[in-house]
Amino acid sequence: MKIAVCIKRVPVMEVKFAIGKDGASVDETGLKYDVNDFDLWAVEAALQLNEKNAPGEVTVISLGTDAAQEQIRKALSMGADKGVLLKADRLPGDAFAVAEALAAELKDGGYDVIFFGKKSIDADNSATGAMVGELLGLPVVTGVSKLEIAGGKGTAHRAVEGGIEVLEFPLPAIVTVDEGLNKERLPSLKGIMAAKKKPLESRPAQLGTAGVTVQKMELPPERAAGRIVGEGAAAVPELVRLLQSEAKVL
Amino acid sequence: MTTGNVVFLVILLLAAAFLAYNAQRLYRYMTMVGKPEHRLDDPARRLWNLLTIGFAQTKILRDPTAGTSHAAVFWGFLVVTIGTVEVFVQGVWDGFSYASFLPAPLYALYALSQELFALLILAAVSFLIYRRLVLKPKRLQGDVVHGTEAVMILATIALLMVTLVITGTMEAIYEPDAPSGYGRLVGHGLALGLSGVISPESAHTVRDVSWWTHAIAVLGFINFLPYSKHLHVLVSLPNVFLSNTSGPGTIGAMRPMNLEDETAEQFGASDVEHLSWKNLLDGYACTECGRCTAACPANITGKVLSPRKIVVNTRQRLMEKAPLVVGDVGEFRRPTLVEQEGADAGTQTATAVLENRLLDNYITEEELWACTSCRACVQECPVSIDQLDIINELRRNLVLMESRFPEELQPAFQSMERNGSPWAFSPAAREEWAQGLDIPTMAEAFERGARPDLLFWVGCMGSFDDRAKKITVAFARVLKAAGVDFAILGQEETCNGDPARRMGNEYLYQTLAKGAIETLDRYEVKTVVTFCPHCFHQIGNEFPQLGGNYEVIHHTTYIERLLQEGRVPLDTDEGKQLTMVYHDSCYLGRYNDVYDAPRATLKRALPVVNLVEPKRTKSRGLCCGAGGGRMWMEETEGKRINVERTEELLATGADAIAVACPFCMTMMTDGVTAKGSEVPVLDISEVVASRLATGAPAALAGD
Repeated sequence: MKIAVCIKRVPVMEVKFAIGKDGASVDETGLKYDVNDFDLWAVEAALQLNEKNAPGEVTVISLGTDAAQEQIRKALSMGADKGVLLKADRLPGDAFAVAEALAAELKDGGYDVIFFGKKSIDADNSATGAMVGELLGLPVVTGVSKLEIAGGKGTAHRAVEGGIEVLEFPLPAIVTVDEGLNKERLPSLKGIMAAKKKPLESRPAQLGTAGVTVQKMELPPERAAGRIVGEGAAAVPELVRLLQSEAKVL
Repeated sequence: MTTGNVVFLVILLLAAAFLAYNAQRLYRYMTMVGKPEHRLDDPARRLWNLLTIGFAQTKILRDPTAGTSHAAVFWGFLVVTIGTVEVFVQGVWDGFSYASFLPAPLYALYALSQELFALLILAAVSFLIYRRLVLKPKRLQGDVVHGTEAVMILATIALLMVTLVITGTMEAIYEPDAPSGYGRLVGHGLALGLSGVISPESAHTVRDVSWWTHAIAVLGFINFLPYSKHLHVLVSLPNVFLSNTSGPGTIGAMRPMNLEDETAEQFGASDVEHLSWKNLLDGYACTECGRCTAACPANITGKVLSPRKIVVNTRQRLMEKAPLVVGDVGEFRRPTLVEQEGADAGTQTATAVLENRLLDNYITEEELWACTSCRACVQECPVSIDQLDIINELRRNLVLMESRFPEELQPAFQSMERNGSPWAFSPAAREEWAQGLDIPTMAEAFERGARPDLLFWVGCMGSFDDRAKKITVAFARVLKAAGVDFAILGQEETCNGDPARRMGNEYLYQTLAKGAIETLDRYEVKTVVTFCPHCFHQIGNEFPQLGGNYEVIHHTTYIERLLQEGRVPLDTDEGKQLTMVYHDSCYLGRYNDVYDAPRATLKRALPVVNLVEPKRTKSRGLCCGAGGGRMWMEETEGKRINVERTEELLATGADAIAVACPFCMTMMTDGVTAKGSEVPVLDISEVVASRLATGAPAALAGD
């Protein structure tokens, strides 16, 4: 079974973000990077599927600058077999441009399953996987939280408003992974050492034309401090009034 | 030569050959299976250890009852063995006696010493048999007890001593004027009483029987040793000599690990061949006395971990596997612990033996993760076995080779990797505590050309934990009040990797530690002060393995020094009488031998403090339960360690509990809450800060 996983290099979220000088990007000084969490679960899903159907091959693909090699190596150290870096000077803010580049790479790969994370935690578009599916004409199941693949078809669970949807789909297909499908493994040192010797190809990304560009970024307003409106039952009328008139949640 | 001489010579040679065979067998197992390790550096300290721990029995005597009895037997044997040599020569060469070349008074002294020490041993051994059969101390009942074997050995020793005395008595009957007669107080005394009852001829016969019994028993005893836990008789002294010598300061440094080696295929240990020969020698040296397990906080509170079982299992596994590895067949095999517990580790076929391994088949991961790395087991072991070293190596294998660890550790590992702290806090928040306190960062100091004398390493707890941040501020206030020229790293500080290392993740540890060393070197740091014993130990004792060399001082020692120099302006008000109890932190005490500075600081800062000690204290102190990465793991089995410890501290009736570690702070505070008590838990620096003179500059008043 040939499996591909598309991963993205994203900033670690625990820092305080600042807006860059151009007003339309994040200031990159002091940022630390890691594999997008959803993509880590996608890698884990690919590895588990591969382990069950061995022998097979898991290819990890990322689009980005040379720095993204670090994230590909991490996936390799978890157990993926080979990596491909689609080199771009910078990531376009348009998911479609990215999807076109990925689709061009994936098109003739002969993959049975292509995994994506449901979304990237920085751009938060939840679009790339589905767009690649459209471009390649493959069935797409997004936000999968339970998955079984056997005998040329797959069964997936995905959370929908107020319930669970169960879907069946034929292979090849695209699956985007939601939280809860699994927990990613910590790369073993053996894996880290082995990853140094695994193949990592690099070629220019065939980016599509970006139809969307980021104009401006703004930080959310500082959160106001909490307010104590009173104590006990006597506080209820005032609280209700505020919830209606100020917070407008009632 | 008489027939008797020839028979004895043959027996003696056979016994010696059999002993030599077993000795080389055990030596081959150890060296051919175990990995090489250099253990001959620092000969002066090794010799000192041998003399104090080995010959002076200092660690054995930590348990006064068993210790005195053991020391009596040990010292007795040292003396009596001189006589055994005489006996053996006599066996081959009739009538041989030291008397033939020793001056009479010296020989008399020798003969007397033989009798007296024989009686001493006899008395001690009788007590030990009584202890095993009647008193039954708890630690000898634990997970593995070769009770019968122990009593058999003790009985044999008793037999040796009895026959020694009988031989002397009988000789005194039929040969009252022999040169040995001088010193034979006991023999002569008994002979006087018995001479009417036993004729010289019968005495001759009894003497011969007794002599042969003695000689054969000695040879039998020695040859039984390699097949029993009493092998320790032969290997304890070498084991003490070869033990970890780095001494206070670096005694608890984890074994260095070379991650640069591209050819390495195994990291840590999953079986005996991944351990060093010294770990295997530890197995031979273990006599299963159970002191380690009796001191283990995990074991005390009902967890599965038993340090004794770890060591004994390592030996059992070696005994099972080594014959196959070195090509011996049909070895005598002692029943294993696991067998005793009903599981199958004995194994019938060679294939099954080879399929087994130390990890999983003998030692489970639950046991390994229960360890708090408090080092009490290592401290207690009378023959300097390093149980923790084996645990650490097995943990390394679990994490580095198999990615097997408690689920709760994943976020801690991930946070250390991503945020440079085991908690998911923003690195930007690292210096929030310092706002408005006018404390420079190294970067700021360097910018204006200053080179601060001292780096205050705050640590992750001190930077992010709300309770610990109060310690940080208190200590900073003390430093400022004393006019110390110091700086912090601020956002450039990261975790030094200690938790990762203790949890087996050496790769993550080295990444973090190398980064920290780079930062420290960039600011030309020479002296580091910190209030976290884990940071203190790691930076001071383990960073040198990676090329980071700094003088690292724990804040208790540093404050004590400042107080001694009269640099801390303390309130002159004597205050009310306060009873305090100090809880020793493992990484400060057992790891680094800092016991007095915290106590001295308390006494000096609080002139009217009444310092009381809990039941377990100083080198016998009980861990708070957070060490060895336990801080990040749930404690679901048995009683909570911190509750057990808090109970001991509260039992002293102290008004306040003093700690010198942010981890202990958390655990003791939780413990106090769990007990529904109101007793405050204070860090040493908080006690001192609360006593700072009120007239001190306004800048210090902020909290």
